[in-house]
Amino acid sequence: MFGILILIVAAGSVGYYMYSKKVQNYAEGEPDISISAKELVEAFDKDTASAVKRFMDKKIRVTGTIKSLDSSAVVLSEEGIASSVVVGLDERNKKSITQLKVGEAATLQGKFSGYDKSSGDPQDMLASLGTTVNIDYAGVVSKK
Amino acid sequence: MFKKNLVAFATLVLFTTSANAQNRYFTKTGTIQFYSKASLEDIEAKNKTVTAVLDSKTGALQFSVQMKGFEFEKALMQEHFNENYVESGKFPKAEFKGSVVNNSAVNYAMDGTYNVTVKGKMTIHGVTKDVEAPGTIKVDGGKLEGKSTFNIQLSDYKISIPSVVKDKISNSIKITVDTKLEPLKS
Repeated sequence: MFGILILIVAAGSVGYYMYSKKVQNYAEGEPDISISAKELVEAFDKDTASAVKRFMDKKIRVTGTIKSLDSSAVVLSEEGIASSVVVGLDERNKKSITQLKVGEAATLQGKFSGYDKSSGDPQDMLASLGTTVNIDYAGVVSKK
Repeated sequence: MFKKNLVAFATLVLFTTSANAQNRYFTKTGTIQFYSKASLEDIEAKNKTVTAVLDSKTGALQFSVQMKGFEFEKALMQEHFNENYVESGKFPKAEFKGSVVNNSAVNYAMDGTYNVTVKGKMTIHGVTKDVEAPGTIKVDGGKLEGKSTFNIQLSDYKISIPSVVKDKISNSIKITVDTKLEPLKS
C-alpha cells in the first residue's frame, strides 16, 4: 500500500518536472558552432540548403559589430552592408544588453532559428534588406 | 549652358533617388507576441527578431517571421508548438504581404499617432488567408512605430489541436505586433 503511494508520488513528480521544465538557456555552456557574423551571412549567400543543415537548431556563438540594438535584440553587421545577423535575447538574459554599444564588437550566443534571403522577385520588398540570419533565445557571452 | 543643365540634371537625379529611398522604413527587430487563454495554462510566446518593411508612399507593407524564433518559457510548450502545431521544420516562416488601406490618412512628415487599417495576405503553416486588422502608426522625428492587435483562428491555417486537449486550447489566438521602423538608406 505504502509502496503504491510512493510510486504515485514519484510518477506525479516526474510528470510535473517534464511539464514545468524550462527551455534550456542557450547562452550558457559551450556552443556547437563559433562563427563571425560575416561568415554566417556568407554561408547562406553561398549555399542555403547546406547552411540550413549545418546550423538548424544549433547553439551558435556569433561575433560581429553592433549596427543597432533595442531593449531585446541586437543587429550585427558590417558597415554599409544591408545583410545582417539578428539576435533576439532570451527574457532571462535581457539585462545583459545594457552592456552593449552600437559600433562596438560583441559576442552573443543563442539558437539558430531561420533566415531570409532575397527571392529575386521584384515585388519582394524584403530584397532591399539583404540576407538576414536569425538567432533567438540568446544572451551576451561575458567578456573574459 | 550644357554644364548648367548637367548640374540641374544631376541635382534632380540625386534628389529623386534620395526621395525614393526615404519612402521605405524597416526593422529587423520587430516583436510579435501571441497569447491564448487555456483552461490548463495560458499559452504565450514572443518573437523579437521580426523583419518588416513599409513603403510610406504606397502603403505597401511586408512582414517575415521565423517560427522557431518564438520564445517560450517551457520546453514542452516550445516542442509542441514547433513539432505538432505549426510544424516549423516544414513551414519555417510566417509571412504577411499587404498594405495600409488608408495610407493617405497618415502624414509621414508630421509627428503624431494615426489610426490605420491593414489588409493583405497572411501565410502561416503553409496556408495563405486574407486578413484585415486595425492598427496605429506613430510618426516620431522621422521614425515610425507600427502597432496592431488582432485575432486569428487556428483552424483557418489548418493548425489542428489534438482531441485530448481540444477543450483546453482556444481556437482563437491573440496576436500583438509592435515594430519600430527606421528609414531605409539605400
